[in-house]
Amino acid sequence: MPLYLRGKAGTVEAVIEPPGIDNEEEAYGRNAGMKRHYYRVALPMTEIWPDYVGSPRDGLRIEVFETWLERI
Amino acid sequence: MGPQEHDHDHDHPDDEIAQAGRPGYYEVMETAVRELLIEKRLIEAEEIRRQVEVLDSRTPALGATVVARAWVDPAFKSRLLANGRAACEELGISFYDDTGLIVLENTGQVHNLIVCTLCSCYPRAVLGLPPDWYKLKPYRARAVIEPRAVLAEFGTVVPDDVEVRVSDSTAMVRYLVLPQRPAGTDDYTEEQLAALVTRDTMIGVAPATIRTGSTVR
Amino acid sequence: MSQTEQLLKRLPNDIGGEAAGPIQWVDRELEPWEKRCHALADVLDFHKLINTEEKRRGVEALGAEVIGNLSYYERWIAAFANILFQKGILTPGELARKMDEVAGRWQAESTGEDSPPARP
Repeated sequence: MPLYLRGKAGTVEAVIEPPGIDNEEEAYGRNAGMKRHYYRVALPMTEIWPDYVGSPRDGLRIEVFETWLERI
Repeated sequence: MGPQEHDHDHDHPDDEIAQAGRPGYYEVMETAVRELLIEKRLIEAEEIRRQVEVLDSRTPALGATVVARAWVDPAFKSRLLANGRAACEELGISFYDDTGLIVLENTGQVHNLIVCTLCSCYPRAVLGLPPDWYKLKPYRARAVIEPRAVLAEFGTVVPDDVEVRVSDSTAMVRYLVLPQRPAGTDDYTEEQLAALVTRDTMIGVAPATIRTGSTVR
Repeated sequence: MSQTEQLLKRLPNDIGGEAAGPIQWVDRELEPWEKRCHALADVLDFHKLINTEEKRRGVEALGAEVIGNLSYYERWIAAFANILFQKGILTPGELARKMDEVAGRWQAESTGEDSPPARP
């Protein structure tokens, strides 16, 4: 998951089926690990960037692996 | 909006070598790696040849047929928005890997833009290979922080009351933008509609418009 | 985050939100070897020899300086070579010898010609 999103608060929009393998594990060739879900997360741009220049409506979407998410 | 004067940065191969027509170090490496893997029977020469043909066969025209079909067939459009890959496969577009495809619909309220900040993930099965600008730092770095400024460089202005929604691709999912159907196309055939859909409209940097003559993009 | 902390945490490819200049209007055709390199990536992925995530990580592992000096597909083939070494599929010695052989073969073929013959 990219650095620019760490610690930011978003909303889970959807669960991606089927469950998948952690990107990071896969990057080390470990394809047979326990599968978990990816979640599509929605974040307002103003949440990500304190000085965002644009419309307050603007937003971002990204699929994030479960282990990177923390319920708040 | 067309290519403007651009600087040649490190991402261009050595012009001198290209002009001399002599293979560079990395071209030799590619051939050596490929031949060794073939000798070790880990891959076959035919697989590489076939995959080059597959790559050559994938162009934005495929994505354009998907968009045009969605514009004329509401049931197909629903299926496309629910499961992009399955709907494309309905039209005979095969996917040669495990990636999924999510189709994002542009509306009067939302304008979608696609980027891959970490690498260059791109819906290759329906668009072919990505343009260099998509893979280079300015687009990848700025699309997620100042999308409207990036769009303006493409000549695209989105009103403030329309949400600009940026999707950052990862390896496991790819995105395709379904641009809005231009006004005044009610009597267009599907083929005529497809001709209006360029690569850039499906990345989300430009809206589909009626043009006289075609623009190579 | 302190400057050095950021250097450690931010991988060279992780550039979302960084300052950058105007869009670079580059849209060139691939060289044949670059297309073959892309095809190789797909075939390696299909055979589960090197998947997309491993490739991404392999490119990152080249480090910022190498990344900054190699073109897109040069980074890929360099990353593939390293990953294949790490997996014990190829040895550096094997690759070096084969590269010498290939370069020698092309040199011999192009003797007396202005450009090398077409390669598969």
